[in-house]
Amino acid sequence: MIEIRFHGRGGQGAVLASEMLSQAAFIDGKVPQSFPFFGVERRGAPVTAFFRVDDHLIQIRTSITQPDIVVVLDPGLLKVIPVADGLRPGGLMLVNSRRPPAEIEAPPGARRATVDASRIALAHGLGSKTMPVVNTVILGALARASGVVSLEAISAAIEKYAPAKPAQNRDAAIEGYGAVRTIDPTTSPVPPVPKVPHPLPPLPEGPIASRPTTSIHTSSWRTLTPVIHLAHCTKCNFCWKFCPDDAIGFDDQGFPVIKLDYCKGCGICAEECPPKTIEMISED
Amino acid sequence: MAKLTLPAQELMFSGHSACPGCGAALAMRLLLKGLGPRTVVSVPACCWTVIATPYPTTALGVAMMDNPIEATGASISGIRAALDAMGEKDVTVVGFAGDGGTADIGIQALSGMLERRTNALYVMYDNEAYMNTGVQRSGETPLGAWTTTTPVEGHEHGKIEAKKDMMAIVLAHHPVYAATLNPSFPEDFERKVEKAKAMSGPRFFDIFAPCSTGWRFDAQKTIAIGRLATDTGVFPLYEVENGRYHVTRKVGSLKPVEEYLHAQGRFRHLTPANIAAVGAQVRDGWEKLLTFESESLVAPTPSAAPTAPPATRA
Repeated sequence: MIEIRFHGRGGQGAVLASEMLSQAAFIDGKVPQSFPFFGVERRGAPVTAFFRVDDHLIQIRTSITQPDIVVVLDPGLLKVIPVADGLRPGGLMLVNSRRPPAEIEAPPGARRATVDASRIALAHGLGSKTMPVVNTVILGALARASGVVSLEAISAAIEKYAPAKPAQNRDAAIEGYGAVRTIDPTTSPVPPVPKVPHPLPPLPEGPIASRPTTSIHTSSWRTLTPVIHLAHCTKCNFCWKFCPDDAIGFDDQGFPVIKLDYCKGCGICAEECPPKTIEMISED
Repeated sequence: MAKLTLPAQELMFSGHSACPGCGAALAMRLLLKGLGPRTVVSVPACCWTVIATPYPTTALGVAMMDNPIEATGASISGIRAALDAMGEKDVTVVGFAGDGGTADIGIQALSGMLERRTNALYVMYDNEAYMNTGVQRSGETPLGAWTTTTPVEGHEHGKIEAKKDMMAIVLAHHPVYAATLNPSFPEDFERKVEKAKAMSGPRFFDIFAPCSTGWRFDAQKTIAIGRLATDTGVFPLYEVENGRYHVTRKVGSLKPVEEYLHAQGRFRHLTPANIAAVGAQVRDGWEKLLTFESESLVAPTPSAAPTAPPATRA
């Protein structure tokens, strides 16, 4: 049995990727299983999906804690989610990143692979600059790097089950298959230390929550970052008043300042800025 | 400092867990700016209960109570009674519920709160579906819209029923004040918040809350889509004070409704005939609203004038 855990953001298609991979495995004559982690639905927020495949019926139904393969659809997640938790020795970590695999942090003994899926997805017209839909590119890359399914099967599954633009999604997967780069581990395998979850403390009497959410840095949700070119700023305060995250303050001279710990990169400030002096730039 | 057109105080904290570009998050931020720190907010199960409370933190700089989805109206009646008993008369009590928790599941509690003349402000932030659980249709989902339970496939073409008119339902209870608000027009928004805050008795806000996740548009378009909703007549801005209507954003000639519909993926499948039907419904609503306004300037409409003057009580 091979177990794969997908890490993505709401809207990127991680859950759908897991489902299309199942269809491909089925076409290959194997027995797959696919299901998402059930949490709150938030575009941009981290999501997890699970996939298992075997030659015969799979009885186990639990979440995957010791995957053979980890697939990361957004490079920003590497900093905020322990994506490699439980990855088996000799396992594969496939990341959507423009960087070479040697630059990806992974547990000792893991094989690493990267593919610039965001660029490929956009080139095929999949998703938007803020939220490229990278799932099919990743599936192509996964087919090559892992051999879990054949390229023929994944192409056929995508063509049949992609909810939109089937031909573009298939072509993106084929390009992902060709573009993925892998390296084998250079260090000897070290078994990972299993993590024991801490039991939750009992609820206190009185107010349940009295600490402000400002202790939570939502910058990890961001794929694009606003930059204000102050030379053309008129101090109109439009960016400030329309920010849903209160992520814009002012300096001593009354110019707006982005609070980068909290900005989620929605781009409303850039869109609404009357002199168009705010630019959204990529951080990867 | 920059010259601000809105109150500077921030009572909604950064770090909350709303989606990027969330209209409902901006609605809460603008609402609390106007209401100030002497406010208690009761939130049922909805997006905002998740947005506000990544345990053990809170996104609100005011007291917040979590309550069951059907109970917002009842909970604010209870909070008001308790505060009155404690002598805390100057606290504004707010129920802040989504459209599902207001127009569908919580409608009996809302009706009860209005009928009891509870001295509180009930806010429906309207993102037009059950967004927190992943975009299921609500009574407030508009005609033709795609949701996961009004799919677009085979013989199905989105929601076949019209949006429930919550303002009409609320106005049938003769509140002291009811208004529609839109975060895309923050100055109008803030004026209504300050007006409602100064009043006593049952008050109601219908706040337009664009949802990029459920309506299928890019997050940076939230404000632009809100603006189009009002300027096409889909979501007119008006207030009703003791039965008198006042349209607070007069649109000389409405923009074509296509501009609003085409900006969102949830309406992508609509045919020209579908769009014409939506357009006719919108124009009809707008004309009715203007008629209500001109008639109530002469005298409040009969339906809005109770035979006995309503007393305000807890």
